Amino acid sequence: MADIKMLDASDRGLSAGYMMWYRFSRNPAAVIGALIIFSVIFLAVFAPLLTPYPKHIGAVVDFRARHLPPDAAHWFGTDKAGRDIFTRTIFGLRISLLLVIGVLGISVPIGAVLGLMAGYFGGWTEKFISGLTNVMLAMPPLVMALAVSNLLEPTLMNAMIAITLLWWTWHARLIYAVSKQIASEDYIEAARLAGAGPMHILFREILPNCVPVISVKTTLDAAFVILFGATLSFLGFGVKPPIPDLGSMVADGRQFMPDFWWEVLCPGAAVLYTTLGFNLLGDGLRDMFDVEN
Amino acid sequence: MQQHPLIAILTRLGTFVLVMIALSIMIFVLARVVPGDPARMALGPAATAEQVEALRQQMGLDQPLAVQYVDYIGKALRGDLGMSLVSQRPVSADLGQTVPATLELVLVSVIFMFAVAIPLGVIMAHYRDRAVDHVGRLLSLTGVTIPSFLFAITLQLIAARFLSGWPIIGRLDHSLGWTGGPTGLLILDGLLMGRPDVSLNALQHLLLPAFALSMAGIGQITRITRSAMIENQRKDHVLTLKSFGVPERVIIFKYLLKLSSIAPLTIMGLEFASLIGNAFVIEMVFAWGGFASYGLQSILQKDLNAVTAVVLVAGLFFIVANLIVDVLITMIDPRLRRKEAR
Repeated sequence: MADIKMLDASDRGLSAGYMMWYRFSRNPAAVIGALIIFSVIFLAVFAPLLTPYPKHIGAVVDFRARHLPPDAAHWFGTDKAGRDIFTRTIFGLRISLLLVIGVLGISVPIGAVLGLMAGYFGGWTEKFISGLTNVMLAMPPLVMALAVSNLLEPTLMNAMIAITLLWWTWHARLIYAVSKQIASEDYIEAARLAGAGPMHILFREILPNCVPVISVKTTLDAAFVILFGATLSFLGFGVKPPIPDLGSMVADGRQFMPDFWWEVLCPGAAVLYTTLGFNLLGDGLRDMFDVEN
Repeated sequence: MQQHPLIAILTRLGTFVLVMIALSIMIFVLARVVPGDPARMALGPAATAEQVEALRQQMGLDQPLAVQYVDYIGKALRGDLGMSLVSQRPVSADLGQTVPATLELVLVSVIFMFAVAIPLGVIMAHYRDRAVDHVGRLLSLTGVTIPSFLFAITLQLIAARFLSGWPIIGRLDHSLGWTGGPTGLLILDGLLMGRPDVSLNALQHLLLPAFALSMAGIGQITRITRSAMIENQRKDHVLTLKSFGVPERVIIFKYLLKLSSIAPLTIMGLEFASLIGNAFVIEMVFAWGGFASYGLQSILQKDLNAVTAVVLVAGLFFIVANLIVDVLITMIDPRLRRKEAR
């Protein structure tokens, strides 16, 4: 009996992983999305080695080379100070990815823990957390982020804090719905009867069941955070110049429309490329884990 | 637990009032505890300490925070939102001038969203996995992923290149000599005051920004409508209708569409949040001069009374929109005429 059980468990573990890989590799959208994200991460990490003019991320001015259209030397053309837009775009990806790591690295754990607690403990904990979530969700996030980041000081760090302050609510609400449902399952009751403490039940029994939902939501959220961050910096709440940042590059280039269109479209397209990757991967993961919308 | 729909809506209304109070406390505290003295900022660096202190007293800034808050809310309910430190006019007057512009933009965007997304979703579900479906999915994915500023600027570029003479900024041509109407909604005012040329011109100005603003929602709602239509096609009562030989047309438009409009409507409520956010971008790109432009300016200039009012109005707008969505859903879905299941 024990023998069969062991065989069964290891067998299932293998095939579950294989099944996931099979579903993933058969989903062209997910594969393309993953490739896009890998390429973005690769470019961002090795930006100093891959870009032709790494010095152009600083306050370089070369007036003879300003507003050059895209050609072999400058793939994305040059900006108003004669700096290579391709170089600056690739470095701009770093800021976007940092924002994703910073915001989601803080807000997802917070949201998950609060959601788990609200779903499992119920009672006043549930009322308090879901009430707080509802209030936070009633605020248009961009308006709030603008207000917070500027009342402090319009820097990327503060923009990040502002986004993080709002972002955990979505995760809390989602995990709350899932964990409330799981909390009523028999195996949770069984664990409780076996003497498991709340910490064990929350993190070892309920949390693993939330992983598919969390990973899908987090992937899709990465796209939103990038869009959100780019929008904030487009509106003038980003990093301080001359540090390259995609949103503020678009805002800078906008003054020279429509003649020097590459100054807007190239950094803008980089944002689109990245968000597209995360969206495709998120949709693919959703199909893979069979998570509902 | 059958409950009268009116009571359900009233309960919801109560929740929204609570949310509004919480929101107002939060933004009020936030606006008051930030570093920087609004009185000093209003008077400039040249003012003496006595002058600043006098203005602080006049503005009530020396009172405890709770007193200031109650005072503010009391006045706000009577329509007095304080003075804007930058424009030197009552904030309510500024809002009265800018809110209609944004309202007009948002209303037309919402019309666009439904007029494009619902039919597209229905068609895609009907021709699932065929060419139309693939094109539609690509389109909706673009809608969801494209930064609104990029889309807006691209639209401007295209219009400037291929539609010479088509207005790409502002709300109205100055040459029309328009001095303002009763509602501030230009299309409506033009019709009311017998100036169809103003309405037409305003509509021309409106089309591009409204389309740009609706793009994200179109992507989102198309996806939801499509998946809801596909899911509901498998429902027992739909299969029953099919087996009775009810024509496909009747099934889609009489039964499926109603059932499948619940999910997109729910999303619409949430979509309003990003709609308000994107309005900041769209108004900036198209020099729209509405509520969002005013908000952006007042935030940049740390005009505290204006910022507080802008956040409150944005929140109120979001809440009212969601209330309308809730009422619509309750009207459509008989299952929800019970106590909230969510």
